Amino acid sequence: MTFLIRQTLIYAVPLMIVALAGVFAERSGIINLALEGIMIFGAFIGVVFVNMIQEAGIFDGAKADNNWVALQGFALMAMLVAAAAGAVFSLLLSFASVNLRADQTIGGTALNLMAPALVLFFIRIIANQNVLNMSGGDAPPWFMLRKAYFGYGRTDSMGFFGETFINQTYPATYVCILLFILLSVILYKTRFGLRLRSCGENPQAADSLGINVYKMRYAGTTISGALAGMGGFVYALTTANCSASGDVAGFGFLALAVMIFGNWKPLNIAGAALLFGLFKCIAASYTSIDINGDGVCMLANLPISVNLYRMLPYVITLVVLAFTSQKSRAPKAEGIPYDKGQR
Amino acid sequence: MKKLFAMLLAMAMMLSLFACSNNNPTSSQGATGSEAPSQGTEESAAPSQSGEENPGAAETDPDKIDDNPTSADGTYEIAMITDVGDLKDKSFNEGTWNGVKLYAAANSKTYKYYRPANGNDATDEDRYAAYVAAIKSGAKVIVAPGFLQAGAMRKAAVEYPEVNFVFIDGFPLTERDSEDDPGEVLANVAGIAFQEEQCGYLAGYAIVKEGFTKLGFSGGGGGTNPACCRYGYGYVQGANAAAAEMGVNVEVRYTWQYGSNYSASPELQAMMQGWYTNGTEIVFAAGGSIFNSITAAAAANDGYVVGVDVDQSGQSDTVVTSAMKGLEQSVNFGLDKHFGDKWADIGGTATSLGAKDDAVGLPTATWSMEEFSVADYEKLLAGIKDGSVSVDADYDNLEQSYSNLTLTVE
Repeated sequence: MTFLIRQTLIYAVPLMIVALAGVFAERSGIINLALEGIMIFGAFIGVVFVNMIQEAGIFDGAKADNNWVALQGFALMAMLVAAAAGAVFSLLLSFASVNLRADQTIGGTALNLMAPALVLFFIRIIANQNVLNMSGGDAPPWFMLRKAYFGYGRTDSMGFFGETFINQTYPATYVCILLFILLSVILYKTRFGLRLRSCGENPQAADSLGINVYKMRYAGTTISGALAGMGGFVYALTTANCSASGDVAGFGFLALAVMIFGNWKPLNIAGAALLFGLFKCIAASYTSIDINGDGVCMLANLPISVNLYRMLPYVITLVVLAFTSQKSRAPKAEGIPYDKGQR
Repeated sequence: MKKLFAMLLAMAMMLSLFACSNNNPTSSQGATGSEAPSQGTEESAAPSQSGEENPGAAETDPDKIDDNPTSADGTYEIAMITDVGDLKDKSFNEGTWNGVKLYAAANSKTYKYYRPANGNDATDEDRYAAYVAAIKSGAKVIVAPGFLQAGAMRKAAVEYPEVNFVFIDGFPLTERDSEDDPGEVLANVAGIAFQEEQCGYLAGYAIVKEGFTKLGFSGGGGGTNPACCRYGYGYVQGANAAAAEMGVNVEVRYTWQYGSNYSASPELQAMMQGWYTNGTEIVFAAGGSIFNSITAAAAANDGYVVGVDVDQSGQSDTVVTSAMKGLEQSVNFGLDKHFGDKWADIGGTATSLGAKDDAVGLPTATWSMEEFSVADYEKLLAGIKDGSVSVDADYDNLEQSYSNLTLTVE
């Protein structure tokens, strides 16, 4: 059970935060298809940052002393750098779709095509291979919380809560969850959030009330880019041993699906991401999942093909979408370039 | 407009920043181009190519030898082409490449790496195109690691009989891929394979002697790569032999899942997380870059890993030991025959290197084992050499009943 929760969170959190990135863009009226591309770019810049700092040896002392607070600070810095990179990258989309009034779908697709190529190009230059790894060691000893940090021995148990939510978790995950809550509140409970949403529903009306639609759309897409970039790095950190390879296994597109699935609402998105993460976890490690803790891995003993388990996350998505898409309601003005002269 | 300008400026800065840190001639041209378009790109790029290999001094550290050398006349005698996976996988491909670099540095040869298009999804067509590109650039001998090369190599070897092919992990090829009408055996292809079951055996034996009882094996190639299959089968046999001597029972979880293209994946990492969480203590990572996913899971759970092909202890603290095969020696062996005009010795035949050739083993200097001593290891290795310890290479027998070992294939 502990393993299942831990692993589900690892899958669900990047999806959740990137889906929220999609919400910010779409609620302001810009379709952000480039989530995948921005994730790739953010992951790459984050890993480059980690790599460079490691090369410089700044945190070697903290690593040797098991000073996990400093190491987490390092992770947080890398997340911020990745977020900044994502924000900058998303400016390309904002510029094309707000200032040039270009088709947003095509702009996003262009970024999706450009990001992996660009990133691979740089990785080839830096590392002369297709993957950029950390400069030394594995991600968990650097960025993961372990019970040894809190004075527990190798065989001591931290109790169910501690084992599940503290031991062997990445605090980056919790930073993302906090951000998710904070930004959801901003979107729904603040003046800024209301204005942003109004630009996605009826920009003409918003403009008539003195809201600068261009600015709002820039803000929405930039926040979106920052979140997607950060999500990309968190993905690389938690599921790819902090390496970048110009690929995030389609998580950006999955996040788009999760966003639509969650009907552009944060709470539904969180639920959808957890559901998807859960099934993804079951698909990959069903042979090791012990739900009731009796040491028997039930799923491994069922006479079901491996391939069926692997299909599960996608089948579930299809099924839920089939039932919920009736009620699905996208922001009204999304995808339409705002033209002041138009009525 | 201002924003566009600012963005372009930022991009230009980034490009030049990355380009500064390398000696790749293409990118240094890009850097000079974006920094100062008025400057003559050609002239300014020329001096940056002076980071050429100095053939006089024989370098022994492969990492210090240039990966992208430029030769004076633009031709390269030795070419290397990979099948799939990264060149710098810190394992199979990189080990072979190091062999090429060391040989070239010691013998003042020009060398170049050609990567087939489409990366991990490279087809025979992509590889064939890489062969042609290499031969057009003056390659006289091509080092080709990876058994997937066979199709493309056959086509290239028939077309260019004057070029020699060192086929690492390979076998002799015939003119046509047909059982009824194979044609002549191609004399310009030398198949060099290893007895991976022997080093797999050594690794399995060693870790069980070390005290591990819950083992895992995760292989690359989805069970189609003979080398990986031999590793796995040898590993299981070695573990069983050691367990029988010690009178204990060991469990082995064995999988080919998520390793088919030898690359790291979140799914494999999750699966390995599950294994380690459920008690598996050590996993043999036999499949190039899948190593990365497995060490990540091991590091998170205080687990251990056995490396493959080359000594991987430097890449992760979780590595206890590595099942090594002499990739560098085999490249040296093949290239020596080519340049020493003794190609007829190996051309068209299958060469299998094993313990008797000192081509397989464990890295005794860097392993972190305490119970299993170097003397024990030497004794076992001698046993394999003189035949008193026999290791079965026929991996179709993997799923048999073992005396002291429970095998679960997932």
